[in-house]
Amino acid sequence: MAKEPVRVLVTGAAGQIGYALVPMIARGIMLGADQPVILHMLDIPPAAEALNGVRMELVDAAFPLLKGVVATTDVVEACTGVNVAVMVGGFPRKEGMERKDVMSKNVSIYKSQASALEQHAAPNCKVLVVANPANTNALILKEFAPSIPAKNITCLTRLDHNRALGQISERLNVQVSDVKNVIIWGNHSSTQYPDVNHATVRDKPVRELVKDDEWLNGEFITTVQQRGAAIIKARKLSSALSAASAACDHIRDWVLGTPEGTWVSMGVYSDGSYNAPAGVIYSFPVTCKNGEWTIVQGLAIDEFSRKKLELTGAELTEEKELAYSCLS
Amino acid sequence: MEQEHIILLQKILVLLFSVTLFWKIIKHMCGLLNIEKEPVTVLVTGAAGQIGYALVPMIARGVMLGPDQPVIIHMLDIEPAAEALNGVKMELIDAAFPLLKGVVATTDVVEACQGVNIAVMVGGFPRKEGMERKDVMSKNVSIYKAQASALEQHAAPDCKVLVVANPANTNALILKEFAPSIPEKNITCLTRLDHNRALGQISEKLDVHVSEVKNVIIWGNHSSTQYPDVNHATVKTTDGEKSVRVALANDNWLNTEFITTVQQRGAAIIKARKLSSALSAASAACDHIRDWVLGTPKGTWVSMGVYSDGSYGIQPGIVYSFPVTCEKGQWSIVKGLKIDEFSREKMDATAKELMEEKTLAHSCLV
Repeated sequence: MAKEPVRVLVTGAAGQIGYALVPMIARGIMLGADQPVILHMLDIPPAAEALNGVRMELVDAAFPLLKGVVATTDVVEACTGVNVAVMVGGFPRKEGMERKDVMSKNVSIYKSQASALEQHAAPNCKVLVVANPANTNALILKEFAPSIPAKNITCLTRLDHNRALGQISERLNVQVSDVKNVIIWGNHSSTQYPDVNHATVRDKPVRELVKDDEWLNGEFITTVQQRGAAIIKARKLSSALSAASAACDHIRDWVLGTPEGTWVSMGVYSDGSYNAPAGVIYSFPVTCKNGEWTIVQGLAIDEFSRKKLELTGAELTEEKELAYSCLS
Repeated sequence: MEQEHIILLQKILVLLFSVTLFWKIIKHMCGLLNIEKEPVTVLVTGAAGQIGYALVPMIARGVMLGPDQPVIIHMLDIEPAAEALNGVKMELIDAAFPLLKGVVATTDVVEACQGVNIAVMVGGFPRKEGMERKDVMSKNVSIYKAQASALEQHAAPDCKVLVVANPANTNALILKEFAPSIPEKNITCLTRLDHNRALGQISEKLDVHVSEVKNVIIWGNHSSTQYPDVNHATVKTTDGEKSVRVALANDNWLNTEFITTVQQRGAAIIKARKLSSALSAASAACDHIRDWVLGTPKGTWVSMGVYSDGSYGIQPGIVYSFPVTCEKGQWSIVKGLKIDEFSREKMDATAKELMEEKTLAHSCLV
């Protein structure tokens, strides 16, 4: 017996990440090969024709799992009945723009989308914010959608997590599927802290295998932090493919559960664990079960890491203040 | 004497039965132990482009060969795209795909073709404004002649080839002609996109889900002379499978607008997106290879551009899209389908165009 379809919203769907993401969703990569989906795609009126082109292509691909497509510029229609919302749409930073300007534009967007989601999405809708500044956009969304449980609002740091796994696998010349339990702490920005102190390759600690603390504490961290810029430099476009793939991983693990003994990184509403500031969206190591995430507790944090955790926490607190100042 | 024979026969049967049972048990245990399959090496040419960017994550996620089939991806592009190609490689690493056992990103066609089991030829010379048909043909003929050699010399035995770059059928033909040691049945071109588009159009018109519609046919050239034929297509209804023509009850639409919509869909996508249909082309390429390798479902056929053997009165010596079923890694043309006069005319027109393209291509080679 076929399952009931799940409604998945993608905002900013006419853009690069959307174009990479929607076929992944339609092929069952996000929710499983036996889970039918209905796609809701939202974008702004200037992108309406391009968005319709994407809808046409989804029809043309004859996906067996895709039970319907809604392509719209109307946020209410887009949000109606959605079970999973991937917020890719946002105001991109343009040359000459100040940080405050970008923040201001995005705060407005996320405030209004929060309302629409709260009023029209299905109960227990799971939200993943991708558009930058991801953590703070997610926070604004949370604050203006008070009836959506705080635990249902997350932001994407899985891309950084996967990038960290990739760097370790290349360094050690092992399969990436053998590397696990890196952690991305904090903000999806250049202050993120990729932490390998609990990472393993087939149960052996990564630090012992790499035998190069200087690299792990230096170049490895900056490579992961700046990987986005490296992709833009090479492709002249940002990392749509890997971001879309990470978004699928984030949702899939959230909904279907993390494998035994493995955690992943998610930006979630902080409860103050590990002395991170409470009341911001902060990336933690989490396990997932029965559709819920839980922060992995009790991991030892050394002095080097402590400083990094605090730095990224401080940036998130600043961003929160900046965002609020845009609202007054 | 007879008694001994019977006993011997019985012993042999028992032995065979035991061996078979033993083999099945071992296989089942191996499955439980999760012993991984050997990786399959897939080449994508033109990999730094739009279709390549949509295609490689699909391959890496098992959409092309199945969720339990590890893959190694070889990506080839031209020198000017080397940096962008490396960016794609970086992203494939950044995505931490469990099935992806290796990535080669190169501008060297020999390195790219080394040991490949499947080759998806997306790279080609695109038509630019002001270019004549002969110019586009000439450029692509050179490319496919060179790549034919490299594939023939360096690919794995029994490499399966799918040509996507336009003019797809004729590029595939050139490839076949210059790679004589690759079995001609291993060289195909993509008309699955048109096939899927036809399924989509029927499903929209009938307001059913696309998986309820099957057995459309795309005949001929992947161009505006392609003939989308629904005369044998069926749709699943509550009363069982019905002919699409009967269920739709709109022959006029089926013989006119439906055909032109499918033929011109590519242009419609470009008009809407300002870019060509990378998403659906990549998806169709995955479907083409998957059905070829893993087999078509029972009672269902698909459309593939294959080397004509003269079926349905189509002259041999061109790559023509036919209805095919696939089993054990081989395609077979579906025979014996009735062709009415309307269809005959269309099928011949697209064959004629393919003969003309062949002549034009050969003239570029002298």
